[in-house]
Amino acid sequence: MQFEWIQIPYALLTLSIIINFGLLMNAFVAKIGARVGRRVGIPIYQNYIDLIKNYGLRSSITHGVMFYLGPVFRLTGGIGLLMFVPTIYGSVMFSNFSFAGDLILALYFIFFGTLGMALGAGESGHPHAAIGVSRGLSQVTMAELPLALAVFSIALQYNTLSVTEIVAAQQGGVLNWTLFTNPLAVVAAMLSFLGSVMRPPFDVVLAPQEIPIGPPTEYHSSYLALMQTNRVIFPIAKMVIFMNLFFGGADNWPVFFVKIFMIYMFAVFIGVVFPRFRVEQSIRWFLIWAVPIGILAVIVV
Amino acid sequence: MVNVIFIIVIGLGAAFLLGLLRENWRNAAYALTIGSLVSMAWIAARWLLFFAVEGGTTVEVFTAGTEPPFAINLRMGIAEAVLLLVVIFSGLLSAVYMSKSLFRLGGRAMSVLLVFIMALCGIILTRDIFNLFVFFELAVIATAGLLLISENKQALSAGFKYLIISQLVSVFLLIGIIFTYHVSGSLNIDTIAGVSLDTMKGIGSLAFFFMLIAVLTEAKPFPANGWALDIYESAHPAFSAMFSAAMAGSAAVYAVDKLLLIGGQQWLPVVTAIGLLSFVAANLLALAQTNDRRTLGYSSVGQVGLILAVIGQRDILGDNYLFIAGGILLSHAVAKAGLYWISGLIGQRNLTDWAVLRRHPMLILSFVSFIAMLSGLPPFPSFYAKWDLVMILATENRLWILAFILLGSLLEASYLFRWFGYILKRETPRQEKNEVENKSPLLSLVPHKLLVIFSALATSWGLAYLWGELSAYDNLFYALPLLFALSFLLLEWVSVWIKNTLAIAGMVAYFVISYPLYDPLQIIFAAIFLLGGAVILLASYHVHGRRIGFYPSAMLMFAGLAMLVVAEDSFHFFAAWEFLTIGSYFMILRGKNSEPHALSYIIFSLGGAFLILTGFALAAQGVVLFNLGSLAHVAAPIAPWVFLLLAIGFMTKTAAIGLHIWLPGAHAEAETDVSPMVSGILLKAGLFGLMVLLMNMGKQQLYGIELTYVMLWIGALTAFLGNLMAVFQEDAKRLLAYSSIGQMGYALFGLALMNQLGWLMALMFVINHYIYKSMLFLSVGGVAKRTGTRDMYKMGGLIAMMPLSFIAVLIGIIAVSGVPPLSGFGGRWIFYNAILSSEYRLPMMLIFISGPIAFLYLFRLIHTIFLGQLKDDHRQIKEAPFWIMLPQMIYVAALMVFAVVPGLLLRHVDAYLSPFFAESAARGGLNWQGLTITSDYGYWSPIPIMVIIAIIFALLFAWLVFVNRKAQKVKQFNIVYSAERPFRPETTHFAWNFFAPYRKAMGFLIQPFVTRFWETLTELLHTIADLFRRFYTGNGQTYAIQLLAFVVVVYLFRVEF
Repeated sequence: MQFEWIQIPYALLTLSIIINFGLLMNAFVAKIGARVGRRVGIPIYQNYIDLIKNYGLRSSITHGVMFYLGPVFRLTGGIGLLMFVPTIYGSVMFSNFSFAGDLILALYFIFFGTLGMALGAGESGHPHAAIGVSRGLSQVTMAELPLALAVFSIALQYNTLSVTEIVAAQQGGVLNWTLFTNPLAVVAAMLSFLGSVMRPPFDVVLAPQEIPIGPPTEYHSSYLALMQTNRVIFPIAKMVIFMNLFFGGADNWPVFFVKIFMIYMFAVFIGVVFPRFRVEQSIRWFLIWAVPIGILAVIVV
Repeated sequence: MVNVIFIIVIGLGAAFLLGLLRENWRNAAYALTIGSLVSMAWIAARWLLFFAVEGGTTVEVFTAGTEPPFAINLRMGIAEAVLLLVVIFSGLLSAVYMSKSLFRLGGRAMSVLLVFIMALCGIILTRDIFNLFVFFELAVIATAGLLLISENKQALSAGFKYLIISQLVSVFLLIGIIFTYHVSGSLNIDTIAGVSLDTMKGIGSLAFFFMLIAVLTEAKPFPANGWALDIYESAHPAFSAMFSAAMAGSAAVYAVDKLLLIGGQQWLPVVTAIGLLSFVAANLLALAQTNDRRTLGYSSVGQVGLILAVIGQRDILGDNYLFIAGGILLSHAVAKAGLYWISGLIGQRNLTDWAVLRRHPMLILSFVSFIAMLSGLPPFPSFYAKWDLVMILATENRLWILAFILLGSLLEASYLFRWFGYILKRETPRQEKNEVENKSPLLSLVPHKLLVIFSALATSWGLAYLWGELSAYDNLFYALPLLFALSFLLLEWVSVWIKNTLAIAGMVAYFVISYPLYDPLQIIFAAIFLLGGAVILLASYHVHGRRIGFYPSAMLMFAGLAMLVVAEDSFHFFAAWEFLTIGSYFMILRGKNSEPHALSYIIFSLGGAFLILTGFALAAQGVVLFNLGSLAHVAAPIAPWVFLLLAIGFMTKTAAIGLHIWLPGAHAEAETDVSPMVSGILLKAGLFGLMVLLMNMGKQQLYGIELTYVMLWIGALTAFLGNLMAVFQEDAKRLLAYSSIGQMGYALFGLALMNQLGWLMALMFVINHYIYKSMLFLSVGGVAKRTGTRDMYKMGGLIAMMPLSFIAVLIGIIAVSGVPPLSGFGGRWIFYNAILSSEYRLPMMLIFISGPIAFLYLFRLIHTIFLGQLKDDHRQIKEAPFWIMLPQMIYVAALMVFAVVPGLLLRHVDAYLSPFFAESAARGGLNWQGLTITSDYGYWSPIPIMVIIAIIFALLFAWLVFVNRKAQKVKQFNIVYSAERPFRPETTHFAWNFFAPYRKAMGFLIQPFVTRFWETLTELLHTIADLFRRFYTGNGQTYAIQLLAFVVVVYLFRVEF
């Protein structure tokens, strides 16, 4: 597949659908959380208001060039990730720019935004930012390992690295999903997923009570707005990969919304139940519970 | 032709004449001494010319005009001529050297000297055993006399101890001679040798044993040599030079050689065993020495032991016997005499006191040449000799002997190079003014002594050339890169600017001329070695002055690298390998605190080199020019061992885990522009070696274990642990050094996958690692230069002061981490495709986790240095010097280009590699058509990736600039800080022990087991050395008992004949 100009408006369309879906879903999840806690919760449109407000705020300072670029890196990472993976299986319109690279590109591009953001936060000179980054990076080394193993396992299983081909191989019934054909890999990947969504028990990186929101501490107004936008896009972009790899992909938008929501709720449920881990605890947890499953997945596939 | 007997006649006659001269005619006496030595030398030289050039044959000289057994006969052959020259020249030069002492003592001392030299000549020439005894006695008495030249009080007692021992020796020798005469009826060596072995059985054998042991004792074998060490320690250095070079190293060993004609083959193992024991033990004990002359004494004992071992192996050496024994013997003679002569310039006797030599480049050059000769490094004769020796030993399957020789050599190199480290790095001793009168000066540069030393230096290089000519291989001096490197020795007086320009021009030119000869794989390595080296050398322009020593070393390394790439046979490959090792060692040693690290580098490197040498020797099985391609045809029982030896040797260079401990210190402590050379460039030599090995030998199995599979694990472990250790470094350059270990692990892993994509990945790492590691080392070096520290936590917030360095580091870390769109991602992508086509699965796991760990140290590197809080001391800091920045900017550009069009370089290599993996090529290489690179599994389009990311980034940036156009820069402490102001940058910069939680979780994995292992080993060797050193009590009676015990033990252990 090659580039054509029409792909640009298509990509923008995908992006706008995802942003809106993400804003609503985040609010919805927050509302569920509030209701569980017997509170009323935010209105469903609250995220829109926050976003517009932050983009509109005038007070803005900067700590330097890298600080300024941090959010740009961050959001580029989110949007780019979304763009490198086909959203809807079988649709030319929503396959985005996936011709540029395969699964490996997507997996490595995840770090692009993280790295840029960490650098930007670093230039702010705030110790909490550095502490947050230190925690985040430490945790991610072990949290990513089960995912890497799972990906290796299913790449061996399907004998390809192309996301489209992996989805294609899962068509024809629920039982063809990787979830059923290679359950170990899926378990490993989903445990790894917990470590990457910044929800308890793995949210020591942001840890609002200890290091006021960690890396983004110094970010405000439009910087924060860019990052909020990313927080809407990025997890979904990531879940798109999970959906495509493990849960048969989606060949239309309603299925897409449902699957993404379900994947997200998995992390939410776990997060509501468990308290926060310290970094070394979460590393040990991944090492003891998730990594062996991943290794098993690689061996038995 | 002058009759040989005149050598004896002149020596003896002049000695008598000296006695007749009046006591105060010192000048005349000295002139007579020198004159007679010169004429003796002339006679010997004339004979040598006759044998070597005019093709003369061995001549027998009959004294009294009758044939033996009725008269004594002398023999003059090429070996005798050479040895006579060594003896006489060492006497002549020593006489010049100690002219002051000789003048002080007068004609008698000179006549004793002449008798000594004459006696040694006699030992070499005579073919009569009783005559041999006489000359030995003369030498012994002369020795005792010459010892008194020394002003050292201990010399007297050493001389006395020597006399005690000599009595024993004489008794043995006489008894042996008497009974030999009784059995054989002759005193002539050749006649006795002709007597049948049956006659010599029983008492004859015992008689021979006595003679042999007596002569052997004169060669000072371990452990019956305490007296000799005391002599070496206390005698006048010029006498020690003769004692070591002429007496033990030439005359005594030649006497052993002659006597063995009588004993025959069956006695060879005895001599070998004694020689080897002396070689290994003396070098081991030398580790614990601090006195310079005693150390040299141990080294002499060791070297003579090595010569004895070679003599013991003469049954298999055949035509090469003289070449090998001569190479080692002459190297020892010249180097040891030279070192003793240098020791005479130095006022104090501790090894570290030699630091006074530091400001004298010519003396340092002499020292280096001498220790290189002793260690058997190219281009000196001992290198050719050891090469041939090892080849033959391996072919004849005498592997234990081979192992002991290499072990001894390694020990010897260890303390010699440690000593060299002292010279360059230790504090120069100072002398208080009021002390000057009662003590000798720290360094006395007397012209005639210097002349003697420099003539030894000239001889060493002359011999190096000669042995190159004589060897069965090309003369290394004809290699253009080596000549180029050596020519910088002559240019030391010009400024850095000129030298640097010449060096760069030379390297680029050499690449251009050789370009048509390279295949695609060689092009990649040659480009990194030569062009890459030239780029790094740009940074060297920042140094001012003359930078003495840098260019010869650097060019030696690059010459070695250039020769390595094109080496076709094992000899040239190994010689190139040694050159690059030595060159890089000198460069590393230039760092301020690099003394111990450079030492561990050279020891590991030489150890690795010896394994490579053994591997080649096993593989060659006697083939003289062993083509590297023939590695493919090495047969089954040997092949895996060859593979193992070579692989470990090469992995020492790439710092695979377990063999890595030399790297962090060596790379971190090196100078700013040296670190990138040894890291970015030198490490690739090991990979190149591995590629040559794997390409030719493929997969090998040892006891059913697939060796490449083991390598795969080693590579993965190295990547993992290297990265993990990098995370916890506070020193920026150490961090980068550990990172290099990890990166080399990746490359090793790729090679060990043994499929085309794995190799492509390894090559991608080769190129990438060169670019970004050179760049990062330069950036960090520049920062360290400005801040005056390498500890990252002492820096912070430098982005505003050093923006270009920041950009370089930023691009560098993105590339290292493998994040798209930069070129590091290509390596990761190929990695995934490679492991999918591999039959193995488990080792990959370690690589998976190494990737994210790299983020930790990379982030720390950039954050702790450039981000965070700026320190007060650094507010006025400037960007790094232009010349350090320039190569970095070139690298940034190169990384960008390589990221967008990796195919430019790689597609040719890919095509070149595919035939090698043709049979296993169920999975082929990559498809490079169009913009997209496709494999059997996935695809990757570098240009669209770059474009898409750039557009998204640009748009968002524009948007932010638009909504945030009024953003203003605030001051440093203007942060959300609980409504307070931070106290100081030091307390606010979160930097020290940055990954404390990670250490808590993973720290158990980086316990320094490996370091502890090597440290314990070193400690153990030193303890043993220290323990056995006490064995030499300094008591003459003890020494006598030791000698007797030695005789008994040798007798008991000798093979029963």
